[in-house]
Amino acid sequence: MMEYRNLGKLIWVLTLTITFLGLVTIYSASTHSTRVSQDVFYQQLICAAVGLTVMFLLSQFDYRKFYDMAYGIYAGSLICLGLVLTVGRDILGAKRWLEIGFINFQPSELAKVAIIIALGRYFCGQRPTHDFDVRTRREGLMKDLFIPLFMAVVPTLLVFKQPDLGTAILLFGIFLTMLYVSDIEQKYFLRFVVVCLLAVPLMWHVLKPYQRDRLLVFLNPNIDPLGAGYTIIQSKIAVGSGMIFGKGWLAGEQNQLNFLPERHTDFIFAVIGEEWGLVGTIFLLACFYFLVMCCFQVAQQTKDKFGMLVAMGMMAILTMQVIINIGMVLGVFPVVGIPLPLVSYGRSSYLMFAFILGFMLNLSKRRSVF
Amino acid sequence: MRLAIVRLIITGFFILIASALVYLQGLRGHYYYTLSKNNRIRVVEGEARRGRIFDRNGLVVADNRLSFELKVVPQEVRSNDALFSFLGEALEADKMALWATYQRRKVNTFTPVLVAQDVPFPQAIVLAENKFRFPGLVIQVGSKRYYPYHDINAHVLGYVGQANRAQIRELKNYGYEVQNFIGKSGVEEYYDSYLKGELGGLQVEVNNRGAQVRLLSFKEPHKGQDIGLTLDNRLQTAVTGALQGRRGAVVVMNSENGDILALVSAPSFDPNFFIEGDPRVTDIFSDTQAPLLNRAISGQFPPGSVFKVIMAIGAMESNKIYAQTTFACPGYYALGERQFRCSHVHGVQNLTEAIAHSCNVYFFHTGLLLEPLVVHKFATMFGLGLPTSVDLPHEAKGFVPDGRHSKNIRGRRFSKGDRLNLAIGQGDTLATPIQLAQLMATVANAGQPVRPHLIRSIGAQAVSYDAVNVKLPVQKRTWNVLQSGLRAAVGDYSGTAHILDIPGVTILGKTGTAQSSGDKPNHAWFAGYVAQGKIPLAFCVLLEYGGSSANACEVAREIISYMQRENFL
Repeated sequence: MMEYRNLGKLIWVLTLTITFLGLVTIYSASTHSTRVSQDVFYQQLICAAVGLTVMFLLSQFDYRKFYDMAYGIYAGSLICLGLVLTVGRDILGAKRWLEIGFINFQPSELAKVAIIIALGRYFCGQRPTHDFDVRTRREGLMKDLFIPLFMAVVPTLLVFKQPDLGTAILLFGIFLTMLYVSDIEQKYFLRFVVVCLLAVPLMWHVLKPYQRDRLLVFLNPNIDPLGAGYTIIQSKIAVGSGMIFGKGWLAGEQNQLNFLPERHTDFIFAVIGEEWGLVGTIFLLACFYFLVMCCFQVAQQTKDKFGMLVAMGMMAILTMQVIINIGMVLGVFPVVGIPLPLVSYGRSSYLMFAFILGFMLNLSKRRSVF
Repeated sequence: MRLAIVRLIITGFFILIASALVYLQGLRGHYYYTLSKNNRIRVVEGEARRGRIFDRNGLVVADNRLSFELKVVPQEVRSNDALFSFLGEALEADKMALWATYQRRKVNTFTPVLVAQDVPFPQAIVLAENKFRFPGLVIQVGSKRYYPYHDINAHVLGYVGQANRAQIRELKNYGYEVQNFIGKSGVEEYYDSYLKGELGGLQVEVNNRGAQVRLLSFKEPHKGQDIGLTLDNRLQTAVTGALQGRRGAVVVMNSENGDILALVSAPSFDPNFFIEGDPRVTDIFSDTQAPLLNRAISGQFPPGSVFKVIMAIGAMESNKIYAQTTFACPGYYALGERQFRCSHVHGVQNLTEAIAHSCNVYFFHTGLLLEPLVVHKFATMFGLGLPTSVDLPHEAKGFVPDGRHSKNIRGRRFSKGDRLNLAIGQGDTLATPIQLAQLMATVANAGQPVRPHLIRSIGAQAVSYDAVNVKLPVQKRTWNVLQSGLRAAVGDYSGTAHILDIPGVTILGKTGTAQSSGDKPNHAWFAGYVAQGKIPLAFCVLLEYGGSSANACEVAREIISYMQRENFL
């Protein structure tokens, strides 16, 4: 078992390393390119500076303030999600952006944090469901499962409506993880998971045609070589052609010759794979793994239940985004449009992860306070 | 305990990803490396044949024909200079012009660029034989749009062209791709999503000689759906003939169900020029007569006396005048020092006579009795100032002042003079020919509005338009008075449209002579309908700067006589 004394320091080192790798790659993806403007690099640079400052400041406050604000943040994020559906800015057929004055951001990123904090507060106010009689068991189930389920499903549906399938899946994943580590009885959790799995085929009918296409393409990329399949084929070629040591920074051909769409956002890992090879990708993956494990240790060592739940939720979001994003670049998972944490270009996403890591720092400082 | 399980699952996923990386980059790395290095992926588009368009008798009015296309794949070309010199020689074309086309259309390195189309067969053979000498050269058989009746249906059908970048960005989510053909106006634009079909294609691996090494993936193209129109090509031809040498528009529709039988705007153009890239296209664009403008739906003109129909209905329904109400016409109406003129000295007129003789003075009096807001209400009820929602793009909606906004436009109040102008459809009032045809259809149906449309079937599926299920709140006696007035305009010896009194056909209608700005001649209108025919017809003729309304009546006469001869009626 890994046990680090100075968790905070390690989190900082890993965050800075990953951010640096991301910036370097965005720089590469935007040079010599007509499609991706060089501006994205500078924008991301500024964003990283802001994000890291936020992270530092957040580590100074007492995270339990968030316990009090939990439901307020949750309500605020619901309002933002509602607003984005009605007045949001339309980009490529999806309404995901909200403009408030000169700031525009993706409320779905806010929703991730809001759902974690709100569920954390809810679950830690719970009594255990053990040894209930028949009548109270129903009540217990209501409290342990259905109310939090409702809390999670409302924002999930709003996000799904945007339509943003990827984030909707993430939100539900957060819920499942936090539910599991809450005090729910194991057999109820397992039954619930089985019900969810049975409901998956029903989901098929709710999906938009292009979302179905992406899933079908995942099963067989050859059915749509010019559309969704094209991206997968090209990104696999890009990653694979990096071989062990990579083609070198700024030397990726798939990247530089405009073969790769979305290469500074969702498919940035393909650029890393091509230019840095297996050495680079494993290094990045390891960084992420250690970061996740840090979060994990924080969760384990925190004496406070609210802190533990929130840490687990945040760890879940970090893990899922890393796994699903890299998985989709490698053709292991379907393309659902999720950015790679701290690496992909995207301000809302970067700030969200800066917030999460700041929270972790905060927890790690206070884990032995009680 | 549970935390440990979660950690185990997470670690498992990380190991899965790591092993996928080792597999892809370590074990299969060399394969992908060669793919990215020596061999190139080429995207070959499998063109989706566009759906054809038929008229109501099953005649093909928009067809596809074969064409040899010359394409160049940028990443495979060894020497641009050698290739384009050869192409220039083989096609007997200017090398620099071909190069310019190529540069303009190039999107990325792997998508073939269309350099020339309609390559004659012998030249295509020569090019195909030299394919291996010039890597990157591709000869494909594609299909091209062809309009067999040239300028007859131009405004209804529209034409196709390559989508521009802005359009592609906008339509990307609906399956449009770079270099696709897209409908640019008319039915081609409006029903593009049905007509276009689904692009297919191949992703093939080619070696450095341009030969296919292996098929990576394939998607079958799907043909677009055929579309049937309510249009009658014979009638279109006759109407085009009747408008020959004039500027204007004609709309003929079935007044009961809204089927448009003819919709012609003159002058017209040959849509094939756009497909072939004919240099005459520049003439079309620079023509001062604006042949591209579809005057039938996008041309807005003052409706002139045709608007008196609205005035008559509005005044009777508001109980301001009755069938027996008379006003004396001395040939002018004096408002202060200004004289508003009438065409003749009509003497004492009742409503029926006033409509038949198109007496301005009668309607000046009516206009002063009726608030502009009320006139606006009735005009809107009959669809003036609103688009008819005909299934064509870029429809104009016309304008009817309501007396309130005038201040903002002109900087002064809506004066009495403005009210007089409004009463005879002058001033700021504007209408499109299709709106007036729709108005006449509503009158023919005694208040049952219809929605004019062109679509009859999509694929094998017939498209039916149910009648609009609201009857306008207008009393029966109002219709009777109005219809007798419209009939008298044609039937009476003194009626303004007596020239249209063709034996065997009962035509009702209203002429209009609308003053245009400046010294130009007036616009000539006739809008009317045919009662008791085989098919109930409503129609509208507009001659832009056509002078007297008698000219419009002549055109209408020619069209109706043709329909009578050809047994339409």
